[in-house]
Amino acid sequence: MRSLTFLIFLPVAVHADEPVDFSRQILPILSNKCFVCHGPASNGDTDLRLDNVDGATADRGGYQAVSQTEPRSSVLLRRIYDATKPMPPADAEKQLSTDEKELLARWILGGGQYARHWAFVAPQKTSLPDDSEHPIDQFVRARMADANVSFADSADRSTLARRTALTLTGLPPEPKQLARFLADETREAYDSFVSELLNSPRFGEHQARYWLDAVRYGDTHGLHLDNRRGIYPYRDWVVRALNKNLPLDQFITWQLAGDLLPDPSMEQLIATGYVRMNPTTAEGGVLPDEFQAKNNFDRTENLGTVFLGMSLTCARCHTHKYDPVPQHEYYQLLAFFNSTAEPPLDSNAYEFGPTLKVPGDQNAWIDWQQLLHERSQLIKNTADIIAKPDFPEDLRSQWQNSSDDVRFKLLMAENSPLAADAGGLSKRIAEATESFTTTLIAKDLDQPRPTHVLQRGEYNLPVGNALQPGVLTVMGELPPDLPPNRLGLARWLTAREHPLVSRVMVNRIWQRTFGHGLVRTPEDFGLQGQQPTHPRLLDWLAVELQDSGWNLKHMLRLMVTSKTFRQSSAWRPRFSDPENRFWTRGPAYRMDAEVLRDLGLWSSNLLDPHMGGEGVKPYQPDGMWKAMAHPSSNTREYVRDKGRQIHRRSLYVYWKRTSPHPMMTLFDAPDRESSCVRRGRTNTPLQSLALLNEIQRVEIARGLAGRLISHSDNDDTRLRLLFTLLASRHPSAAERTACIQLVQKMHERYSESPADADALLATGDTSVTNLTEQVQFAAWTQLALIALASDLAIMIY
Amino acid sequence: MSLNSARQLELMTTRRQLFGRSTLGVGTAALAQLLGPNMLSSATDRSRVSSQADGIHHVPSAKRVIYLFMSGGPSHHDLWDYKPKLTKMFGSQLPDEIRQGQRVTGMTANQKNGFPICPSKYRFTRTDNNDRGVWTSELLPHTARVAQELCVIHSTYTEAINHDPAITYIQTGSQIPGRPSLGAWLSYGLGSLNRNLPHYVVMHARTNHPEQSLFNRLWGPGFLSSDHQGILLRSQGDPVLYLSNPSGVNRDDRRTQLDTLGLLNQAQYDRFGDPEILSRVRQHEMAYRMQMSIPELMDMSDEAKGTFQLYGEDAKTPGTFAACCLMARRMAERGVRNIQIFHRGWDAHGGLPREHESQCQDVDQGSAALIRDLRQRGLLDDTLVIWGGEFGRTVYCQGGLTRQNYGRDHHPRCFTVWMAGGGVKPGITYGHTDDYAYNIADSDGVPLSPQPSKDNWQPGTMHIHDLNATILHLLGIDHQRLTYRYQGRDFRLTDVHGHVVRDILI
Repeated sequence: MRSLTFLIFLPVAVHADEPVDFSRQILPILSNKCFVCHGPASNGDTDLRLDNVDGATADRGGYQAVSQTEPRSSVLLRRIYDATKPMPPADAEKQLSTDEKELLARWILGGGQYARHWAFVAPQKTSLPDDSEHPIDQFVRARMADANVSFADSADRSTLARRTALTLTGLPPEPKQLARFLADETREAYDSFVSELLNSPRFGEHQARYWLDAVRYGDTHGLHLDNRRGIYPYRDWVVRALNKNLPLDQFITWQLAGDLLPDPSMEQLIATGYVRMNPTTAEGGVLPDEFQAKNNFDRTENLGTVFLGMSLTCARCHTHKYDPVPQHEYYQLLAFFNSTAEPPLDSNAYEFGPTLKVPGDQNAWIDWQQLLHERSQLIKNTADIIAKPDFPEDLRSQWQNSSDDVRFKLLMAENSPLAADAGGLSKRIAEATESFTTTLIAKDLDQPRPTHVLQRGEYNLPVGNALQPGVLTVMGELPPDLPPNRLGLARWLTAREHPLVSRVMVNRIWQRTFGHGLVRTPEDFGLQGQQPTHPRLLDWLAVELQDSGWNLKHMLRLMVTSKTFRQSSAWRPRFSDPENRFWTRGPAYRMDAEVLRDLGLWSSNLLDPHMGGEGVKPYQPDGMWKAMAHPSSNTREYVRDKGRQIHRRSLYVYWKRTSPHPMMTLFDAPDRESSCVRRGRTNTPLQSLALLNEIQRVEIARGLAGRLISHSDNDDTRLRLLFTLLASRHPSAAERTACIQLVQKMHERYSESPADADALLATGDTSVTNLTEQVQFAAWTQLALIALASDLAIMIY
Repeated sequence: MSLNSARQLELMTTRRQLFGRSTLGVGTAALAQLLGPNMLSSATDRSRVSSQADGIHHVPSAKRVIYLFMSGGPSHHDLWDYKPKLTKMFGSQLPDEIRQGQRVTGMTANQKNGFPICPSKYRFTRTDNNDRGVWTSELLPHTARVAQELCVIHSTYTEAINHDPAITYIQTGSQIPGRPSLGAWLSYGLGSLNRNLPHYVVMHARTNHPEQSLFNRLWGPGFLSSDHQGILLRSQGDPVLYLSNPSGVNRDDRRTQLDTLGLLNQAQYDRFGDPEILSRVRQHEMAYRMQMSIPELMDMSDEAKGTFQLYGEDAKTPGTFAACCLMARRMAERGVRNIQIFHRGWDAHGGLPREHESQCQDVDQGSAALIRDLRQRGLLDDTLVIWGGEFGRTVYCQGGLTRQNYGRDHHPRCFTVWMAGGGVKPGITYGHTDDYAYNIADSDGVPLSPQPSKDNWQPGTMHIHDLNATILHLLGIDHQRLTYRYQGRDFRLTDVHGHVVRDILI
């Protein structure tokens, strides 16, 4: 009777026939409000569990929490409305809202069906009704229609050109490139503009940054002494892989298990630097077992964030409270990493554990490839000689059964007809090898280390039997034909049916293109994460990523050619959507620290395009490292570079994990001690000071002023170039007036005290002195400084 | 709307809208709209600063906190925890029943001379307080004289036994990097009291023994947004990074430039209507004000002569611990909520007397002067001052032992921290250790059995999570309710532990 009585007060009875999506509407409520006590970490034998249908519908002595046959008798329904014994209890931190109660009631009255969390079910492509419209736009338009709104107008072409270039390459379009695009009004103009950008070497440098944040790339060990670490060839490999558009499934596989591939190439081995990326220590007094455990925690949890979009950290100590990750599965996953051959402590050494000698930067890499090419050509050329009938049969068969290395040695033999060529080449190869640098790589021990569950995550409290490496069963099994090692792990991650990896990857690609992810919590696709703004779009893209052969450039092209991307970024006066969840305007966000700096260097023609090599050290205020560093640390002194090194792209700025460059951290770069898949975008007074006062900013401004001055004697022409460089457009009348006035005021002011002009122009290594026109130069420098700090330059619209 | 509820609103907004790593921009902007422009500007008003009761969960007793962090692990044996019985045990081995097989670091685990007991060479004196009295060694003569103000806690403890994990643990609540620091949590929870100075300032004091490293993470934001990181106030170069205009640019020039910048940004706003642009204009203006307020802060020429008698002549030299303490008082007066001074060099594995004498010379007078000064100015009652390191040091000697010279290894199982002001009972002595200052003990010196743990608080004990919970409590924050959702979990400073130690609260 009681249940019938209370149903009278149910505010929802009228809607009870509206369908409820369990996975997207109900599970998040249960997870957030109920699972703390009734979730995966509860004892299913005695406690009520609501995280699975068996638990929820179990007969609990004459009643059921959820009855699918007699929904109205469900005790859950009664208790959430119960005034005297409510659930959650009155003193619980998290209470149900009225809407949530209503949803739960609708769900139960509709039969209380369970389904898996959406992110644990493999994505499917929805078929698209309209062949003529861009797929992305069809999904976005459908949701807009629900909200009775439509796409914004397209951004003007110059704004779009700037947005697209910055999105793909992290630099604005070159003025000539921009002019060409603006002059070409054919339909194909934008496509070929995009192709040009995707093929630029700058593309990989920019896209790599996001990956390096995620995998916590740094140039130092990170803990205690925070000494130098030999790992930058990994960074350069990431750039190359992205530029060459290495399919992302291989990109993943090489990093997790390149060493386990048959006859691994040098690049496949370099890629395994990912496995070695965890911060390490050699602090006196720490115990190897302790850090064997901590290093593994770090690697396992990084895998969770980067590939699964989930935190596994909870399961280190106990079964996850929300997501179906039992503690023993966490340790099975950890077991994949527990048998790598490097010692748990780093000896504070630049190289420790397995390493490889490899070319030191991208030029050296190209040279090396050339040498290898010449070598194989030489070997190929021999084929003609071998093929001659008079060639001794035994030698021929020896040749044919030899590896290229052996063949090359045979060619160098004294009696070889190609001895001179081979000898010369061999010498060049030896020379090249001498300048190789070291990079940390992964390798497994012959005898695996046993892995146990660690009670409460304590290294010295192993319990139970040794575990086999294994995957998270909620995301499928490790197929029996796969080896239970990192290679099997990689194959499992990149398998078609894996529910998360393609979604997680494509969401981050979307995030860096549109400024926000479809899932706004890219680090959490679990039950506590946010729902995608457009679930079917996310799934469509995830499958498309796989269908395209894990083709990053294809996905980016797809995104930037959509109407959704090409909309104007202006806020819509009649449609309030501050977080742009409907994607009713184009991207708008402040650039990342690196892009800010690179754009400046580029606009002033200072940018040094050299690619790869050891991290570079631009200006940094004195004493920053020393004030913090251990006296024995080899990163105690910041010795800044000179010459062109300080004008390299920011990707190459040296990353000391315990004290990254302040121009990076002030603008939200992470420390790279732990994974970051989404940077914050703060807005602080310290950023203002940095933009206006830092030496390199002044140097950039002066370089830009020099460029404007030498470009033309005419102020308007100069301003047009300034605006073209920074904003890809010409100034408005108001902007023109503001700029001209500043130049005039500064001109007057420096005419009165030319010594101040000299002082300003003398800042930094590239100072200019003994100018006859120093007043003019200083005045334009001041304008350039301001323009570079303004939202014209630092925002993407 | 009071700032109290406003801040709650902001926290709600940011948590609801911006899970995980996110900008406060939207939240702040929303807040500003709700509150109108007056709220932010009126917060600069000095009288308002001192009358503001803006804890977020309850009325705070402390409005600001000054944390004197002794990095490396000061020896409680040689400074605070007087154990006269040890004198007779010089050189004898630490009894097994005291050590109970506990983990020691790899540095002394296998040393040839075992675990020889090492009594302190220093003379201790007892000062009456409002409790059972407190002992201090001759290394801290100034501090001894303010003992009436201090709550001396002998029973602080941690699980971490090495520096990097231990200092990361006490400052972020986790031994593994990645979590927000105590200061970042306070910034996130409480916001700012003024608009001319940063609200969370970190100083690195000079030492003769710069052993052990500091890490950005100790004042870093972790997964909170980066505007919650501590701002370094430096003694070398610009006190705040990039504070000074470039050469050849004066304040008038900057004003002119900023006016142009404002016009350019306004034009950009007219184009895109993006509220972030307006918010950035305000940040540029605050930066301009900071260019005045920070040099004014740093300029000590307005200090009376007596100040330097109090803090010592050292305080005239920028970067000394005494100068940092004086600067801390100047910032406290100006509404900086959260000030931390890191002093390195306490990691005395060998040659402890020489190193600790120098370290104490650095910190003793400055710490004591800070207490007196805050008291004189009526600031101590609502300023919480904390003094301590990441762990203590062993009763047994590391390396060669003589009566005059010795070293001590890391000891996490008990160490001494003091707190003062801000709602902490003055002149009390909290917690006991056994005769070896090895285990936490009852008032008879009998080791507690079982020893307390982070899961099992016992009266008279202070796990570092308890310490952090208590600090937050004093500042008006319930440590269990100041949370931030990241990766699906509501994180907090004290993880799933922590107990507010009410016994030491007024």
